[in-house]
Amino acid sequence: MIRRTIVYVLLTLGCIAAVLPFVITTLASLKTMPEIIQGVFAWPESPNWDNYREAWVQGRFGRFFVNSTVVAFAVTIPAVFLSAMSGYAFARFEFRGKGVLFGYLLLGLVVPLQALVIPLFYLLRELHLLDSLWALIVPQIAMSMSFGTLLMRQAFLAVPRDVAEAATLDGATSWQSLWGIMFPLSRPMIGTLGLLFFIWTWNEFLLPLVVNIDPAYHTLPVGLLYFQQRWTSNLPLIAAGATIIFIPLVLAFLVFQKQLVKGLTEGALKG
Amino acid sequence: MQHPSPDSLRAVTKPASQSGAGFVFPAPGSRRTGPRWEPYLYLLPALLVFTAFVAVPIAGGVILSLTAWNGISWDTATWVGLGNYVDAFNDSRFWTAFRNNVTLIPYFVLLPAILGLIPAALVHQMKLRGAAIFQAGLFLPYIMPGVLIGVVWRWMLNPVFGPVNQTLKRMGFHPPTWLADFNLALPTIGMIGAWAAYGFCYVVFVAGIEKIPRDLYDAAKLDGAGGWQEFLAVTLPGLRREIAVVLSVNLINALRAFDVIKATTDGGPGDATNVLALFMMNSAFGANQAGYGIAIAVILAIVTLVLSLLVLRLFGGDDD
Repeated sequence: MIRRTIVYVLLTLGCIAAVLPFVITTLASLKTMPEIIQGVFAWPESPNWDNYREAWVQGRFGRFFVNSTVVAFAVTIPAVFLSAMSGYAFARFEFRGKGVLFGYLLLGLVVPLQALVIPLFYLLRELHLLDSLWALIVPQIAMSMSFGTLLMRQAFLAVPRDVAEAATLDGATSWQSLWGIMFPLSRPMIGTLGLLFFIWTWNEFLLPLVVNIDPAYHTLPVGLLYFQQRWTSNLPLIAAGATIIFIPLVLAFLVFQKQLVKGLTEGALKG
Repeated sequence: MQHPSPDSLRAVTKPASQSGAGFVFPAPGSRRTGPRWEPYLYLLPALLVFTAFVAVPIAGGVILSLTAWNGISWDTATWVGLGNYVDAFNDSRFWTAFRNNVTLIPYFVLLPAILGLIPAALVHQMKLRGAAIFQAGLFLPYIMPGVLIGVVWRWMLNPVFGPVNQTLKRMGFHPPTWLADFNLALPTIGMIGAWAAYGFCYVVFVAGIEKIPRDLYDAAKLDGAGGWQEFLAVTLPGLRREIAVVLSVNLINALRAFDVIKATTDGGPGDATNVLALFMMNSAFGANQAGYGIAIAVILAIVTLVLSLLVLRLFGGDDD
């Protein structure tokens, strides 16, 4: 019994340690600077929402929020559909070069973004795409192809053969069978994949840091970095900026917790 | 991309028949469903965008790493062969960054793995109920962007106003300045990395232990194995695959560490927390040595690839 209690206490402590920094940050975002200096854990006398207004308007977090949202959707939706198509090709067809092409696409799993971001910058410069949301959208769709193809191929292989076959016998084209049967049947996997793409895009930092200098095209993580550099000593304001970034993530996490944990642990091999 | 020649078309139908025992799905894409170039059409968009924005930069990067180039105008690029790589190996700042990455490995890789493994094994052994509730909280840091983690911890560890030092001072300690301290900055970054990953490790191990067949545990019990022996004989070997995944994921994160460091110390104080990813960026964009920066990126990619393959091989799991 005592040993059980100890394990429960350990787990609780681990949990508190994981969550506490975010709680303290949220608290700080509602305080004034003197209140923070007085005590970190104290409740603010009256919530000071001005920090949020200042971060949102003067700190341009409103703009960054819109950019992050636009980019996350503009990456996730095409990436899911393109992954479904390429995954379908590998799951349902036999063709010359299949193994080589599959290996080629999976190359993206073993090469970290760090290794290609500098040449990618010069490529985008040649294409006159720097300082635009395109510079974030197109490369991130490209980088999603490896993991997406791998996952969708597995999803389609898991569809029972007779179900897939029935459609073909009914005279449906492969295109109809993909979007009419295979895609809807794989909905759970597609949901997980979309969620992962969304969060990876939302959190991406290195690429937007490198390719977009103009603050008009910053996303939230990059915006937060420059924000921190500019307002170094204004902790409540920085805390408000940080809270604006993690509240949507916490909400998404609470709603999709099961799918996310499963997807992230199973998809952990993504380079 | 390329249309298959008539020869290749004939070859296409062959492998279909050998794709697994009892697989009678009528060689999809051949007779009934449509033309034989169909699969290539499905692949075309993915291949095009991947080639243009992943493969071309990788290949271009390898070539550029063999040049001295300021990154500004193309006519300044001159061929130097392996010169950049030789320079890197003779550059003490490169080795400092490399050593810092290596120093982060125990913190980023082993510490969170152990912190996740022990409670996961205990929860299973004691058949604790309700342990699932803890998963959500423990997992939370793992889905947060690195910059955010950096910003949050930079203020948590702020020597004057930060919660950590405020608390320590109230308890009568004289706390250090953490990220501003030459000797402590790198271990502090390491601890932040461990903090961000241990919940993830725990969740992976819990899921893995549930997949270990129950009769293995029953057999161990019959043999009179105690808790510790059971852990060594059943749990640990049963988790080989999960351990390999956790270690390689953490290892990759240690080697490519960038976001958290950029947001906390930006490599400082001095070069105390400079790492390869940061050094590569500063060389390419700060010092206008694009060729040199890219060469460091190539070295980083090779080291990452070799070490993570080594971990996966060491724990012998067949991939996928």
